[in-house]
Amino acid sequence: MAKRVGIVGAAITPFKGRWYQKTYYELAQMATREAVADAAISIKDVDSVFYGIYNDIFERACIPEHPLQGILGMQNKFGIRISNGGATGAYTVSAAHAYLAGERFKTALVIGVEKATDCFDFSSMSATPEVIKTIAWSGDTFFEQNIGWSASDSYAEVVLGYMDEYPGTLKPEITAQISSLLSQQARTNPYAQRQFDQVTPEEVMNSRYIVYPFKELEICVYSEGAAALILAEEETAKAIAKNSGKPIIWITGVGEANEHSFAGKNQKDMSHIVSDYLGAHRAYEMAGIKDPTKSVHIVELHDAFIHQLEISMAEFGLVPYQSVDSLIEDGLILPGGKYLVNPCGGLSYCGHAVGASNIMSAWSARNELIKRKLRTALVHGTGSTVSQYTACAILEHE
Amino acid sequence: MPEKRRKLIPDNFIPEIKSRVITLDNQDYLLQNDAMYTFYERSAGELSPFFLAIKNEKKILGCKCSKCGIVRVPPMMTHCPDCEFAPTKLVEVGQVGKMNTTPPITYFATSMFLDKAPFGRGRVILEGADTALSVMLYTTTGILVPGLIKKGTEVKVIFRDERVGQISDIYCIPTSELTPEQVTKKGLQESEINWAIPKEPQFPKPTDKDIANFRQYLKEMQSIAIKMSQSKRARRAIEGWKRDITVKTKAGEFAMRIDNGDFRVEDKKLASPDFVMACEDPKTLLDGLMYKGSITDSVITKRLWISKNLEFNTIFKLDRLARFLVMEQKEKTAK
Repeated sequence: MAKRVGIVGAAITPFKGRWYQKTYYELAQMATREAVADAAISIKDVDSVFYGIYNDIFERACIPEHPLQGILGMQNKFGIRISNGGATGAYTVSAAHAYLAGERFKTALVIGVEKATDCFDFSSMSATPEVIKTIAWSGDTFFEQNIGWSASDSYAEVVLGYMDEYPGTLKPEITAQISSLLSQQARTNPYAQRQFDQVTPEEVMNSRYIVYPFKELEICVYSEGAAALILAEEETAKAIAKNSGKPIIWITGVGEANEHSFAGKNQKDMSHIVSDYLGAHRAYEMAGIKDPTKSVHIVELHDAFIHQLEISMAEFGLVPYQSVDSLIEDGLILPGGKYLVNPCGGLSYCGHAVGASNIMSAWSARNELIKRKLRTALVHGTGSTVSQYTACAILEHE
Repeated sequence: MPEKRRKLIPDNFIPEIKSRVITLDNQDYLLQNDAMYTFYERSAGELSPFFLAIKNEKKILGCKCSKCGIVRVPPMMTHCPDCEFAPTKLVEVGQVGKMNTTPPITYFATSMFLDKAPFGRGRVILEGADTALSVMLYTTTGILVPGLIKKGTEVKVIFRDERVGQISDIYCIPTSELTPEQVTKKGLQESEINWAIPKEPQFPKPTDKDIANFRQYLKEMQSIAIKMSQSKRARRAIEGWKRDITVKTKAGEFAMRIDNGDFRVEDKKLASPDFVMACEDPKTLLDGLMYKGSITDSVITKRLWISKNLEFNTIFKLDRLARFLVMEQKEKTAK
């Protein structure tokens, strides 16, 4: 029988559009220092470290985690890097969970960090085209990179595929309201990159197209920052929690799936995010959740794009495919509604420091479960071309 | 159509060896120009026949499973994973197909594709194929706009005149924009197609009211430009950028000047602008600068004409200028 695994400490750095003051070394150490302090343990008590770093080019180094082993005080201990596109953070949590549940270690540091906006395009004298170019090296090397593949256009393919399948859904006024809602939720997150950037639905609708059908205010923002969790197996978690006085948030389910990267017969179904469906439902099964609409209270969802947030909610089984707009129209995610989605502002407003993002989401879900005395949260990460990768975790507060 | 690049990394992408210092909270931080670069002489391996067929024969190949018969395009595998790795064989497929789903349109591209935007990229199922080939999509009629190519739209593969053996040697356009002969012709090249040449719009004679509005809107734009130049955040949107733009409207012409953080709207004619914008009603631009609708979308919806597609880049910066000014005002209020 696998051991139970719980979160006993968590911390993040502020997420910023640019951290001129810090390298990724210091960002990773900042989050780690705070996480061990939150758990009231010494770094010497941590047996293993799991690094979530997405893109070598962002950090300007292959195996960018290697200096962190010493900087984080983890020398001579187990260390492994996970890199799974946008889903890196969620997959890193999943990997750490597996090692602890399998009794390889008693404690683990899960540290995600990304330094994205050092990239700079000297032809347009701005960072963003170079940041998205760096991500564009993630497209298929033979068939897509040199015809303009980007993260935005590959997710837009799936969103448009969904809209082909379910016409009349993902209405612009609904995506605009969701973006506006997330901007309001970020207002209380002091670590959010856009804490003070509250936008109206009208502003969202008036914002420029980046990649049709996505407008500028319907897309997550690239960030720099780090996020850390301290995980422990059951007995150790209980001992740490007794000492720290903080409740344990148990990881009761994890689920993952990676789809085909090409479309067509026997390959990727472009009208769905099957990886989201499988990842969430595998996590539910492990957690013993029969009906997620009755069990899940908080969703910390990887909102790379607002349209995709809606589709992911449907794939999670939390809203019907044909009526995803009921998230707003029926008030399901509005204040006081059935689901609390991205209370931190999500990746759209807290920010997307890729390797750290889903770990930030787990940090937020843990905070909200404790603060609001709620029982169950779903944490989600999506990534790679055409939303190919998904990892999900179920967090539960006893 | 965009020109083919002659160098792997164009010179304008390559910065000088240089550094600078920025000061934040009385602390200096060093910023250094830097790059990671690796050159390849890369083998196309088992994919070589596919790319050589495009380059030399203007043909598209797929791979057909010897067991289940599925034809995959591109032919990215020599054995079928659905049939216990039964071998596949290369087959030729058609050059006309239907869009698998509605394709996205990229207006704001990565740095490598800024000069190619706007473009579509989607997946076409060619005649004789079961899977979808990812392709760039263009229209012969000007700027690609939403609704022009949708799920099920029939498109034709076009071969570039100069081919190097890469997937970018081909792209697709709707067959509705071609003659029946062109649709059926194998190996149709881009030089055989009539491309619409962008023409500067001509406006009717202005009324007195148009002229009065023009004077008023110009004044308002000048006033916003002063605020933008005074805003620390807005200045960042046009840092390091320099452009002189002639703006032509029904009731008159004026200049917009961007100069490394400074933004000016001047009531004058420029002798040698970097590019020209033309819009019948100057309020289109005023609204954009006032953050009441994006200038990018004005270009897409053809309310604003630009003489060079590459200057979409400057249009994005003008939209950013407007947004950054509003963001700064919001932050000041919130704090």
